[in-house]
Amino acid sequence: MIELQGVVKRFGSLSAVDGVDLDIEKGQRIVIIGPSGSGKTTLLRMINFLEKMDEGSILMEGKEVGYHKDKKGRLVMEKPHVISSLRSEIGMVFQHFHLFPHMTALQNVMEGPLTVKKEPREEVHKLALDLLVRVGLQDKKDAYPAFLSGGQKQRVAIARALAMRPKLMLFDEPTSALDPELVGEVFTTIKNLAGEGITMVIVTHQMGFAREIADRVIFMDNGRFIFEGHPEDLFSDRMEHPRIKTFLQKVL
Amino acid sequence: MLISALSLLLLITPAGVLPADVPGKPDQYELLSQGTRLVQEGMLDEAVEKFMQVPPPVPGEDAGVFVRSRMEAARILFSKKDFRASAGLCDEILCILPDNIDANNLARQIRVAETPEWLKFLKDMKTYLPTLVKATSMTLLLVFITMAISPVGGLFIALGRISRNKAVSSVFWFYIWIFRGTPLLLQLFFIYYGLPSLGITLDPFAAAVMGLGLNYSAYLAEIMRGGIESIDAGQMEAAKAIGMTYWQAMRRIIVPQTYKRLVPPVGNEFIALIKDTALVSTIAMVELMRAANQIFSATFNVYILAQAAIIYLVLTSIFTVSFRKLEDRLGVYENR
Repeated sequence: MIELQGVVKRFGSLSAVDGVDLDIEKGQRIVIIGPSGSGKTTLLRMINFLEKMDEGSILMEGKEVGYHKDKKGRLVMEKPHVISSLRSEIGMVFQHFHLFPHMTALQNVMEGPLTVKKEPREEVHKLALDLLVRVGLQDKKDAYPAFLSGGQKQRVAIARALAMRPKLMLFDEPTSALDPELVGEVFTTIKNLAGEGITMVIVTHQMGFAREIADRVIFMDNGRFIFEGHPEDLFSDRMEHPRIKTFLQKVL
Repeated sequence: MLISALSLLLLITPAGVLPADVPGKPDQYELLSQGTRLVQEGMLDEAVEKFMQVPPPVPGEDAGVFVRSRMEAARILFSKKDFRASAGLCDEILCILPDNIDANNLARQIRVAETPEWLKFLKDMKTYLPTLVKATSMTLLLVFITMAISPVGGLFIALGRISRNKAVSSVFWFYIWIFRGTPLLLQLFFIYYGLPSLGITLDPFAAAVMGLGLNYSAYLAEIMRGGIESIDAGQMEAAKAIGMTYWQAMRRIIVPQTYKRLVPPVGNEFIALIKDTALVSTIAMVELMRAANQIFSATFNVYILAQAAIIYLVLTSIFTVSFRKLEDRLGVYENR
């Protein structure tokens, strides 16, 4: 469905993402793990065009999208409205939620379909209520974000992303900013989505969650994939890769 | 005191002309001349005593000496600020001669002198306030027009200023640089007196609106730019992530979040604006400051300026309270 080929992102002389290929099939649940600074978040942000890639290509349904080359052969991002319409098909959930503080939970969820898709208000209202029920927050629909807990905020943020009916959901460390006792409710919400067959790419530091939800797990280090495969293989005792072994010993 | 003594000198009749003593009664002529002498010697209390000894006239008798001596006493008492006693003597005279000019004049002077300062202030207010209030309506009109124009202009300039396009950004930087870097008074002079030489003639009102609008747009632009830049960058990313364009994100997400933060600094600007409208009095606009100044120049009554000051204070106070209320209202989404 979405394919990344030879994607490179440099910050100065440092290659944050150093030529990776990633094929995301419909219904897949891909979890990316790895130490801090390994390029996981940068990779995720490039899938959503929030970060401009320096080399490589992104394909949607087999077609290259989002970039063209200038005369010197450098990648140039397409015009903003093209990028916006690509983004509207990919939902993103941020580590720090980034809910719109001046809107209620319901208004946050309704904002995308109303402003971007210009769908009729009654339909959007119904859709948003359904989504809030799905994330278990129907009783908080009129609450402003400042009056919600971290876990509740993140669930509203998930509903807000889902309201655009995206082909793909990206989760960028969705529980890293949460108090430990609030992590569970967010994971449960994501697991429920997984059960509904939503395609997702998740960056996380929660190994237990990765193991439970992923049907493919990727270990990233220094901008490269050093493992890609089934979670049971990654977490098994037979894992010999020294980098992965030391990392897992530290975090587990 | 010197003046009353002098006037007394003019009033006294030469002693030699006075008629002879009437037996059995105090000699009123003698008392008057003795009193007059005491005044000349500076012994005022004693003089008053002498004047008061002149008996009231019996009906049919000439009241001239009585009136004159009581009048002298009243003047001395007035000069000593004993208004009540002085007024009593005037009343005595007016009972006999209601039309006596001297007594009436002194009585009026006493009334004026007895009026407390605050009452004089209120009386002046009654006289001039309607003129000042009428002029205030022009001040307010200028304030409200500028308040309507400058936020729109300010937002436009602020968005231009933060544009990633260097050329656009520099144009707006230049605008802000000019209008914040030169006195508003100079800008008003330039628009009203300078533009005609470039073939653009504006009436005072148009010139005032233009000057205030351009100037305040520049100030508000910098405040709004600060407001927009103070919004967490994550908000723009989140808006883009649900497919919004830059302008949709600005309109729906970023700018609305600045409103509450902008109220205190923008409120300050508008309070300054109320006072700054006084500057347009220099380009022939009749507003509160100019009206007050015109009356002051004609009357040299300092209370007029105090009245204008009070009107400005009332306006700025209303603004201060309103902006505080508005700030609370716009912050409903905050958990405090």
